[in-house]
This record gives sequence, structure tokens and C-alpha cells, in this order.
Amino acid sequence: MKRVLIGLFLAAALALPVRAELVIEITAGRDNPTSIAVVPFAWSGWGSAPEDVAAAIAADLLRSGQFAPVARADMLGLPTRESEVYYRDWRTTNVEYLLIGRVSGGSTVSVEYELFDVFKQEGILVGRETGPVADLRMLAHRASDKVYYQLTGIRGAFATRILYVAFTRRPGADDNYQLMVADADGARAELVLESSQPILSPAWSPDGNQIAYVSFESTRPAIYRHDLSTGQRERLTNFKGLNGAPAWSPDGNSLAMVLSRDGSPDLYILDLASRKFRRLTRHYAIETEPAWMPDGRSLIFTSDRGGRPQIYRIDVVTGRTERLTYEGSWNARASVAADGRTMVLVHRRNDAFHIAVQDLERERLQILTSTALDESPSVAPNGSMVLYATKHDGRGILAAVSVDGRVKFRLPSREGDVREPAWSPYMGEP
Amino acid sequence: MPRYLMLLFGLAVAVGPTYSQEYIDLEEERRQQERLLQDSRAPVAGVAATAPITSQTQNFGELLYQLQLLQQEVMTLRGQLEEQGHQLRQLKQQSLERYVDLDRRISAGGTALSAGDGNTPASNAGGSTAAELPGEADAYRAAYSEVRSQQFSEAIVAFKQFLQDYPDGRYAPNAHYWLGELYLVITPQDLESSRQAFTLLLEQYPDNGKIPDTLYKLGKVYYQKGNPEKARQFLDRVIAEHGSSNSSAVKLARDFIDENY
Repeated sequence: MKRVLIGLFLAAALALPVRAELVIEITAGRDNPTSIAVVPFAWSGWGSAPEDVAAAIAADLLRSGQFAPVARADMLGLPTRESEVYYRDWRTTNVEYLLIGRVSGGSTVSVEYELFDVFKQEGILVGRETGPVADLRMLAHRASDKVYYQLTGIRGAFATRILYVAFTRRPGADDNYQLMVADADGARAELVLESSQPILSPAWSPDGNQIAYVSFESTRPAIYRHDLSTGQRERLTNFKGLNGAPAWSPDGNSLAMVLSRDGSPDLYILDLASRKFRRLTRHYAIETEPAWMPDGRSLIFTSDRGGRPQIYRIDVVTGRTERLTYEGSWNARASVAADGRTMVLVHRRNDAFHIAVQDLERERLQILTSTALDESPSVAPNGSMVLYATKHDGRGILAAVSVDGRVKFRLPSREGDVREPAWSPYMGEP
Repeated sequence: MPRYLMLLFGLAVAVGPTYSQEYIDLEEERRQQERLLQDSRAPVAGVAATAPITSQTQNFGELLYQLQLLQQEVMTLRGQLEEQGHQLRQLKQQSLERYVDLDRRISAGGTALSAGDGNTPASNAGGSTAAELPGEADAYRAAYSEVRSQQFSEAIVAFKQFLQDYPDGRYAPNAHYWLGELYLVITPQDLESSRQAFTLLLEQYPDNGKIPDTLYKLGKVYYQKGNPEKARQFLDRVIAEHGSSNSSAVKLARDFIDENY
């Protein structure tokens, strides 16, 4: 799996042809991935299957770096029911797990799947996902989540979405910024907002239904709230100076942000119900990039109050502030995984900007990437992978790395630059 | 104006290049301040060529300038204070660790003595298959990942912390061995720490599978420390005690003797 360069073509048949679609290239995986065969699912609806469910599941598992899906050409049989499974066939090819399934229905589809342990010769998981046919690909990701959980004990984050900003410079015309939302594998990209002015810092609400972002559409930065299902949007702030870096609180009731309306950039909390702003920091240095701790009691942020950008934590109630990073002279854009312990940030070493992870209890910082211009890290809701923006062949692309640094893949756009990724929270029930 | 440069740079990179348009306002404000400053400071620099300027503006400009110098100074000092506070906490922690370690060794020495006095058979220190403690494997893997990514001094810190947390853990012998190895690959080498780590492993886990390698390494360390006689004893022990095993340490010890004696 090491240094494998696999271009997986993941265009969804149903998604509208939008420019800023992403393609996945896996660049590094684990040494001993688990071998799993995902047999093509049977389709019992009208015509041909609208989506290759098995291929989507296999791609999910491959992308985790922990699994090596078997190529279809190497499968000795294509069972779709348990009665058709001959363990011996799979054992001879050293397949450890076998996933089979069936898709049926019309406008509402149902994906049934069964997972087998080839060595123990027994079924270990039976599941069914039901939903509208337009979401068939999401149903496949949900099945991936269940299989991943069964085999690793970690909740899967395949049935999640990502936000990102695609940027195209057009000679002789206005620049084009597109705020996009796509599945976590880059497929089914949809346009959320298009503008000739910059769009920045997209952020998810904790339920995944709404987003906040900074848009310059009124020629200066303002923070907007946007409902993804209805498309309704409203402007939340439009102060003089900087209005930036919105971050939704874990309870969904307030939004942390950076405003410079009272002088230098400081952190504020906007209560969404009362529309009241509360100033959290008061310092002539720059305070920016707030991110909530999962318990909602404190925020971490970047400040150069010590002469250099470093990460601090502030208690939302008491205002007590402590510095968290001491390694190196430049640390910024931090966020904390759901475990409350793994902090992901951008760290400068030898004039290069890398994605790094710091264990908040042990204070150890580990650099995850070897590229030089990495920015905007965003952690998956299960804490397994970090999505970030970087440069590759002179273009802005998205890339992902596992929190142990062993698995890496890139998601370049077919055209233009992509940046500012934000990984959604879990969508729906576990 | 180093503070301007630094602030702008800090902001520009802190929020990423994409933000470049977002702080135009800020930048403009600073430029205005700077212009104001230059205007008000110009008379001080060249009194002869100036238009009449009220002394109030001049004072204001001077004050602003001093305020900025002060702010910059305070920020630098704050940074230093934060870092020193952190170092102090680390030192305290380390000295506590050293004390606990010493305490453990002394009390271990005491029990060994009393065990030797009585007729109690073999100490439990040789037990090679301790049970794995919760979280131990993760901590060990984390430390080992530093070795893999060639962060050797970080790896040393991690393995020391590991031994602090799981002194009798299942992977403790491996951690001692890695420490011994790591002290040899850092620059400058720390031969004495390496010797201590290997000696500890040899004394506490005499039945461990890593013992042939440990003996060989101890031989090498003593040789490098300028004690070829002692080194030879360890190298001979590898061959005498493990010559019948297929350990690669035996061959390495033979080669080392052939080359250096």
C-alpha cells in the first residue's frame, strides 16, 4: 500500500456537473492493511443500478488506509447471498473479510449487506440502510461506517460531508469563488454560494444543518449564517474592520468570532437567540481563529501576545487564559478533536508550514505532513483523519492525513484551486 | 517598524494567504497611524525645513510611538515569561520524576538486600511476562512512532515518560532497550545514559529476549567509553551464554572482537 498512487474516479452519476469536483489520490497507507472483498451488490430495481454501491464502500475502506479491498478481477465468485458464499474460495486468496449485499427499490431504495469473517467462517454483521434513491451513495457510506465500526471499534466518518472554497481566476473577468459542499469522498459536490468576492472560513453547526462563513460580497468582510436544506441565509455581523473566523459552539447556541470593531482583533461570542455580543479578549495583540473545546467551556485561539503566534486556551466563563504551545516559534489555526485531547494545528519548522498534532495531556507535538505550505486543518468527527489545504504542482488542493501520520491522500480539484476545508460533524444517528 | 512587519506577517500567515484582503482595513489603519507618526516626527528629525506644527500634535505622535515601543516590549517580555514559566514547570516535573525514580531504586535495593538475607528464592524482577496495563500499548506505540519518524530526542523523552507511567509494564524492557539505543544515535552521544539503560535492562530482566543484544551493546558502549577490558567481558558473555542461540548479537560480538582486539 505504500506509495501507491491510485486515481479513483468518484464522480457521482447523479450529481450536477459542477466544476469544483474533487478526485482522490491515495499516497500513503499502512504497512499491513486488512484484506477485504467487497463483492458487487445485486440490483433488483428497474434498469441498471444508479450507483455502484460496492465500489463506493470499497473506496471508503481503501481511503481509511486500514483496508486493502480486493480487485474485482481477483474474486473467484460474486456471491450476493449467504447461501452462495464458499469460504474456501476466499481463504485460498487470503481474503480476511467478505462483504456482500443487495440493493432494491424504486424511488426509495434499500441497501442490505452482510459481513463475513472468512477465517472463522461466520457472519459478523447484517445491516440495512434505507433512503431516497438520490441518496444511494450516502447509504453506501453509512454501510461503510457500520463495517468500519465492526472491524476497528471506531465509529466511521464516511457518511459525512465537507465544505470547501473553490477559486478560479478568470482572465478578463471577475474572480470566481464557489463555496461547495460534497460528500467526505469528494463526490456529489453541490454549489452553496458563488461570488466574485472572497468567501472564507466555512464552519458547520453541530447538527450539520447550518453553516457560517465570511463573505466579502458587500466588498467588506461579513459573517453569514446559511441553512443548507432551505438555502436561507442571513448576515450576522457587518462591523467596521475585521469580521472573521466564525466557530459554532458545541451546543449550537452561540458563535465565537473575531471582530476588530473596538480596535485590534479580539474574540467575541454572539448569542444567536438574543443577538448579544460578548467580548472575550481585550488585548492590543491579535487574537484570532477561535475553536471550541468539545465541552464548550473553553476556546482555543491564536494570539501573538507573546510576540509570536501561539495557541492559547481561554475559559469562556472566567476568562482565565493559558498558553498551550511552546514548541517552535509559530503555531496557529488549532482545533481539537472530539476526544478533547488531540489538538491539530499548523506548525512552522524550518520556514515550512506543516500540519501537526499535539497531545494536550502530554504536551507532545508531532508533525504529520512533509509538504511545506499546509493550512486550515479540519479534523474528522471520529478524530481519525485531518483534512487540510496545501499546494501541489502549484495549485491549491485539499489533502488528508491520519492523526498518526501514516495514511495520506490528496483530493485535488479538476480545475482551479480549492482551500478552506471544513469537515462536518456526524450526520444522523450512529 | 518591526512591530508592524511582524504583526502584518503574523496575521497574513496566521490566517493564511487567502485572508489577504480581509485585513485591508487594519493595514490601512496602521498606515494612517504611521503617516501620522511620520508627520509628527518629521519636525524632530529636521527642524529647519519644517512647516509650523503645533507642539500638541508633536507630543501626541511621540506618545503614540512610545506606546507602541512599550507594547512591543511587553509582548516580547510576556513571551519570555511564558516560556520560562513553562521551562520551570518542566524542570519541577523532571526533578520529581528523578526523585521518584531514585526512591524506587533505593527501595528496590532495600528489598533485594533483605531478600538476600533471608531464604526467599528468586526475586520477581526477572519475571519476563508482565501483564499489559491499560493504555500501555498506545503509549509505547506513540513513543516508538517518534523513533520511526527519526525524532530521536523526542523519542527519548517519550520512552522516559513511558517508563515513568508503566515502570513494570509489559513493554518496559523494550523501552529500556530503545533508550539505550537512542542515547547512542543522538548528537552528542550520551554513552553513560546508554550504559545505564542497558545495565538496567540486564539486571531487571535477565531472561528477556533482548539480552544477547543488550550484552553486545554494553560491550560496545564500554569500548567507546575507553574500557576495552570491561567491554571484552560483555562481548565474551554474549558468545559464552548465547553462542548456541541463533541471535545475530553473537555474530556481531565475534566481528567486533575480530576487528578491535
